[in-house]
Amino acid sequence: MQEWFESVAASFERAFITGDRWKIYLAGLGITVEVSFFAAILGLLIGTLLAFMKMSVGKDGRRTPWSIIANIYIDIIRGTPVVLQLLIMYFIVFTFSRNAVMIAIITFGINSGAYVAEIVRAGVLAVDKGQTEAGRSLGLSQAQTMLYIVIPQAVKNILPPMGNEFIILLKETAIVGYVGLTDLTRAANQVSSRTYEPFMPLIGAAIIYFSMIKVLTILLGKLERKLRASDNR
Amino acid sequence: MIIVENLHKTFPTTDNHVLRGISCHITAGEKIVVVGPSGSGKSTFLRCLNLLEQPSEGKIWFDGTEITDPQTDVNHVRTRMGMVFQQFNLFNNLTVIANIMLAPVKLKIMSKSEAEANAMKLLERVDLLDKRDSYPSQLSGGQKQRIAIVRTLAMNPQVILFDEPTSSLDPEMVGEVLEVMKDLAESGMTMVVVTHEMGFAREVGTRIMFMDEGKIVEENPPSSFFGNPESVRLQEFLSKVL
Repeated sequence: MQEWFESVAASFERAFITGDRWKIYLAGLGITVEVSFFAAILGLLIGTLLAFMKMSVGKDGRRTPWSIIANIYIDIIRGTPVVLQLLIMYFIVFTFSRNAVMIAIITFGINSGAYVAEIVRAGVLAVDKGQTEAGRSLGLSQAQTMLYIVIPQAVKNILPPMGNEFIILLKETAIVGYVGLTDLTRAANQVSSRTYEPFMPLIGAAIIYFSMIKVLTILLGKLERKLRASDNR
Repeated sequence: MIIVENLHKTFPTTDNHVLRGISCHITAGEKIVVVGPSGSGKSTFLRCLNLLEQPSEGKIWFDGTEITDPQTDVNHVRTRMGMVFQQFNLFNNLTVIANIMLAPVKLKIMSKSEAEANAMKLLERVDLLDKRDSYPSQLSGGQKQRIAIVRTLAMNPQVILFDEPTSSLDPEMVGEVLEVMKDLAESGMTMVVVTHEMGFAREVGTRIMFMDEGKIVEENPPSSFFGNPESVRLQEFLSKVL
């Protein structure tokens, strides 16, 4: 028993302590968080814009050019693997820049935007049409009705799937190793190829991802409950 | 006050020809009650009056302005033309008082304090002052509809359109809403009411329109409308609802 315990401790030491290896994970974690965080913000901006573009209706009730553009964007992004999008961005589009972090943020932002667009659109459409009609019938403009009445109610519908999207995004950034970035996943992989002991680094990284997402889930759950409170006060 | 000329409405997606040439003239102070079988186009007609539905053909004038003219500022027209809905449509994210104050304040018709004072006065009038900080989800159907009427009144409209205001209420709450509407009628408000409440039509209406298959088949003051219906279709309709 003691022998087993000692060997686990030794293997833990090799995976995390020896040669200050914990710094590799920490730096990797930094990249993971940086890319995810800024990509999430970019995705939120792009997605919201796309959602309203897609929902725009012309005076004659037809789809606007904006709506068609948004549709094409969403189609293309959802129809191709994000790894491929990252490679295309790094090796074809941004050949003039080797700032891989920035390219990763842009790629994941653009990718996430397509999914966020559908989330926002569904959330806005789920608000009863009568709410808009009541706003318009009082003389409020389309924009005012959106801003004061529809969007505050849509946020409640949007929050749960949006949380889901952020969680997916955080995990998906594990592919940035393809363009030479050392994120948490790659850091773990590097250590295991140095120690020839994959168990500790890989399980360790998994635990770190899991913990981050658990915390995120708890925070989102709290926010959601707070917003729902107005439903049955 | 409102002139409607040869109004047609076809819903393009279903190709459903709902309104087939409606013309009428509504003068200030009138209480028009629109009745008819379901699917006759009553609600669509009402919703065309404030352009919640875009007419396919025909013209509407309100207070001398042709509102069907694309140049007309529809939002401005709607500030003077209130609407009360079957489903109340109170803003779920706002308290009662915020519901009432939103449009007057955001459209810069009143200052915040003016709007609040006005809202309080109106709430007192419908006896719901104690609900000022409640959310719509905490109110009964009858209370919601009374608040919805107050919300419309807060804009000081020249006419109020009622789209089946009591149709989704529990029977015991119909009375309290009709009471507010009668009150409003007595105060001289111009009203256009789509309803199935024949008692209200008879008591409050100054003119009753019977619609069927997208047309106004007959329109008369209540006494002759109910006492001496001319068309066969109206006679049939009345024999079913009275």
